[in-house]
Amino acid sequence: MVVAGASAEVTRSTRDNPVRGATLTLREVSHHFDLDGQPLPVLDRISLRISRGEFVALLGPSGCGKSTLLRLVAGLNAPSAGSLLVDGEVIDGPDPSRVVVFQDPTLYPWRTVWNNVALGPEARGLLGTHRERIEDALRLVGLTGFANAYPHQLSGGMSQRAALARALVNDPKLLILDEPLGQLDSLTRITMQSELVSLWQRVGFTALLVTHDVEESLFLSSRVVVLSERPAQIRAEVVNTRPYPRHRGDPHLAELRHEVFARLGLDATW
Amino acid sequence: MSSIADEVRSGPKPASGFLASPAALSLIGGLAAAAAWCGVAAITALWPDKPESDWDYTGAFAALCAAVGLALVLAAIAGVRFTRMRRVRQAVPWLLALALFVAAWEVITAKLGWLPLPFFPPPQAILEVIIDDWTRLGEGTIASLRLLATGYLIGAAIGFVAGVAIGWSRHASYWIHPVLRFVGPLPATAWLPLAFFVFPTSFSASIFLIALATGFPVTVLTWSGVAGVNSAYYDIARTLGASQRFLVLKVAVPAAMPHVFVGLFMGLGTSFAVLVVAEMLGVKAGLGWYLQWAQGWAAYANMYAALLTMALLCSGLITLLFRLRDRLLSWQKGLVRW
Repeated sequence: MVVAGASAEVTRSTRDNPVRGATLTLREVSHHFDLDGQPLPVLDRISLRISRGEFVALLGPSGCGKSTLLRLVAGLNAPSAGSLLVDGEVIDGPDPSRVVVFQDPTLYPWRTVWNNVALGPEARGLLGTHRERIEDALRLVGLTGFANAYPHQLSGGMSQRAALARALVNDPKLLILDEPLGQLDSLTRITMQSELVSLWQRVGFTALLVTHDVEESLFLSSRVVVLSERPAQIRAEVVNTRPYPRHRGDPHLAELRHEVFARLGLDATW
Repeated sequence: MSSIADEVRSGPKPASGFLASPAALSLIGGLAAAAAWCGVAAITALWPDKPESDWDYTGAFAALCAAVGLALVLAAIAGVRFTRMRRVRQAVPWLLALALFVAAWEVITAKLGWLPLPFFPPPQAILEVIIDDWTRLGEGTIASLRLLATGYLIGAAIGFVAGVAIGWSRHASYWIHPVLRFVGPLPATAWLPLAFFVFPTSFSASIFLIALATGFPVTVLTWSGVAGVNSAYYDIARTLGASQRFLVLKVAVPAAMPHVFVGLFMGLGTSFAVLVVAEMLGVKAGLGWYLQWAQGWAAYANMYAALLTMALLCSGLITLLFRLRDRLLSWQKGLVRW
């Protein structure tokens, strides 16, 4: 089950929904920041291929550069070296087909939930034709009754759902999730994990999730990419063929968890 | 069956409850305030003015106080029936204090003559000015308002645009920022001598000065508002396909609005000061000029009337700006203390 190395052939997970997502290819991507004139390497020759409709989790110690990698995929920053391709085309800037959901919901406090969700269509001048889709997105995340609420009136889980609706209304081919459940309490988190899986199964986007929660990565993704400490390199890939929806008590997941902890060098405490 | 009906008929409250009910409290408070104002009216009318003084409007002033008292009686009685009128109750302590103040003022000036004239006229003298000279006061108010509104709106608009430009564009920041740093802290009134000979009319010169006084705080605060916008807001909008225009108008500006309003308040405060100085020194109209004129003729009652009008005008404008903020920034209500 464990496939080490970056260029490994991807095992497709078993799914029976329509697949509309994009493929993502990372070729020898390296990145560094300038810190007082000194280059600080963050990513070291990351190569990865994500198939259409796959759910991949990036797992690594905090501060290893996971979020930087996501910003490169989103097109918010350009890599120092290497190239990133979506459906075979080089990423040269942000695009609504690749939407990010951040750890902080970052809803605009001056807009109602409805208007926050409408942000993407409005920015592209499509508000007139997309009203129905905004309603659909709100329904999808269960916030129909809160369309006119302001963000400060929402709970953490509801805010993150609104942020998810704001992303999904753009019909993304690639949904980039930057620890989206990191700030939620554990109960809300468990609910939202299941909701994420069912959304992904229904909508059919490709998902790239950054997390430092091993259980979350195994519950959600079909492949866990384990990253090393900064500068991040791919240390291992753990493929998870368990069908969705998964069960947290599944003994196979426990085995995989042991596997992942070993890859992270944390198996001594197991 | 019958016992339930009896209970409903007799009502849940015991008889002593009425005195403690909000309706009764507002009635008692309103009547007390009314009595105080009727008292002021009685003192004014029945206690003769100091001999050899000639206040023509003593009777009119007494009538005005009596009218206030009567209005309070009506409001107090209406409060029993209409909940909205019960707000009068909140004003009762102030109404009592004001009655006391006016009574003391009336007694010290008109009745006993303890304060030197013409510097401290009695209230009826100010009422006299308001009745006899209201046309000039009204014209002055309109002239001041026109000058202030023109200068303030120009200054606020330029300040807002400059602030957004500095906060957004590196080029704009490079050129505008040093000018702002160098010229901005200079009080607008320091430009007064220059402005009055550079500009064709004293009116346009005053507009320039008021705009300058308004523009500085609005620019600085708009700028700091735009510069302080959470960068994640931009990331979100960019990934959703926003253009530069959208980022400025739909992200930076609304996010900076709370700061902009602080600038608008500060600008309004300084613009009042500049307005009065400009009117006193150059413009031959407006309340500032009226003040100056009244002082020249030792018409101190006119001066007090003008000050009163000016206070009403300024606080009215501030209230208006608060209302505008409450409308535009209602989303902040759950986030900050108002």
